[in-house]
Amino acid sequence: MAIIETKGLTKIYSVGRRKVVGLDDATFQIEEGEIYGILGPNGSGKTTCLKLLLGILFPTSGEAYIMGMPPDSVEMKMQVGFLPENPYYYEFLSGAEILRFYGRLYGLSGPEFERRVSELLDLVGLGSAGRLALRHYSKGMLERIGLAAALVNDAKILILDEPTTGLDPIGCKETRDLLVRLKAQGKTILLSSHFLSEVERVCDRIAIFHRGRLLTTGSLEGLVRQYQAQNLEDLFVKTIQEYDAQHPLGKEPA
Amino acid sequence: MNKAWAIALNTFREALRKKTLYILLVVAFVVIGASKFFSWLSAEEELKMIRDVSFSTIEFFGALIAIFGALGAMSTEIEKKTIYTLLTKPITRTNFVVGKFIGLGLIMLLNYVLMCAFFIGLLIFKKSPPDIEVAKALLLIFWELLLISSITLSVATLASEAFNLIFSFFLYIVGHLTSYGRQITEQMQNAFLKGLSDIVYTIVPNYENFAIRDKVVVGVEVSWQYVGQTMLYGLIYMVIAILVAVYFFQKREI
Repeated sequence: MAIIETKGLTKIYSVGRRKVVGLDDATFQIEEGEIYGILGPNGSGKTTCLKLLLGILFPTSGEAYIMGMPPDSVEMKMQVGFLPENPYYYEFLSGAEILRFYGRLYGLSGPEFERRVSELLDLVGLGSAGRLALRHYSKGMLERIGLAAALVNDAKILILDEPTTGLDPIGCKETRDLLVRLKAQGKTILLSSHFLSEVERVCDRIAIFHRGRLLTTGSLEGLVRQYQAQNLEDLFVKTIQEYDAQHPLGKEPA
Repeated sequence: MNKAWAIALNTFREALRKKTLYILLVVAFVVIGASKFFSWLSAEEELKMIRDVSFSTIEFFGALIAIFGALGAMSTEIEKKTIYTLLTKPITRTNFVVGKFIGLGLIMLLNYVLMCAFFIGLLIFKKSPPDIEVAKALLLIFWELLLISSITLSVATLASEAFNLIFSFFLYIVGHLTSYGRQITEQMQNAFLKGLSDIVYTIVPNYENFAIRDKVVVGVEVSWQYVGQTMLYGLIYMVIAILVAVYFFQKREI
């Protein structure tokens, strides 16, 4: 059974008098326990899709469900952990304080939760920086605390938008290893990224977005076979070039 | 309610760790303190001066803190994009607005208590401890400040920070002048101006209702019934402002 599902999800932004398609008729399902990667160039609709799933944006048309519940459901959000692209956090709080604050929103507190805060800080390599204000954190440290914040409620579903942006190669590898461990614990992970190698190494299935359109979705091996590509990079380029050739800019389908 | 309280405490903590409000508070102390240096006045006139200046200072600097606090509480959250992460947590948008309002209330209460303590200390130093009339005037000032912050917060959910800043100060001034404006237009023959004055008088909160300080300074007693009715009047406006804020914030895309 699909744990995340969208049906014809569409978002059209109004920019002055212009209409800009953020996401166009996206339909996909994510099964429980899998790592699903959303790939696409900048501005392809990846982040719009995640924001629609989480109720930050409202769809122009179509539907989205997580665990069968709509995006504005508080009950659904109890089961979800989210890492935004370029995490923005309260700079006046320390790493431990931000985790405590988010924890309280999930109804978590007390000695057991304090232990979890320490464990999470250690897990993301910020054990010694937990008391430091976030305004003193580097970009990589912010990404790490963002990941810890996404894990604070031990969520069933993790939605991670570019989780390795700003991390050094070791940090990237640690994050990838962590994702694999989380999957082994039974968590479902929706991962948005434009790092192909990252997606190739951890994802069970992928979706390629371009110019707001979901071009294709399926298992990596299946798609590589279907498109007669050599690897993910080749698949990615072929898919996008094929779409661009069929739909030149300014002649998008209605 | 726990979630709104967590957001309130976070808003309060943010204000405590920023310097802006302290500066306003220090300036207010200086102005209140300066009122005692009118040595050429008789003792009675000096006391009147201290009361008058202190009431006005607490009200004016309180209004500055209410407006800037409310602007910061909402706009900063949106501009710094911390709201992206917050709204993916299991909270409703109502929790967010109510939490922000309670947090603002705590910030204003702290500043107000400190300013009042300084004022009362000054009165005790002058061997004229405050009576119940002073308490009534201070109570209504605080109620006015809560009303100002609720309106600024409400406007922040649907307008830009710059517009809100201008609007809130404009409303603060108009709100203190509506009674005078009505008195003037009532003496005019122009039906249009009279009608306009009636509309403004009905919609715009009459902040002058809360200003009993002039009476208290000259020793005129104000009934508890008047205090209660004025607080109820303010409460109705506050509830409307918060409901408007919730309504617009629920429709707002971030």
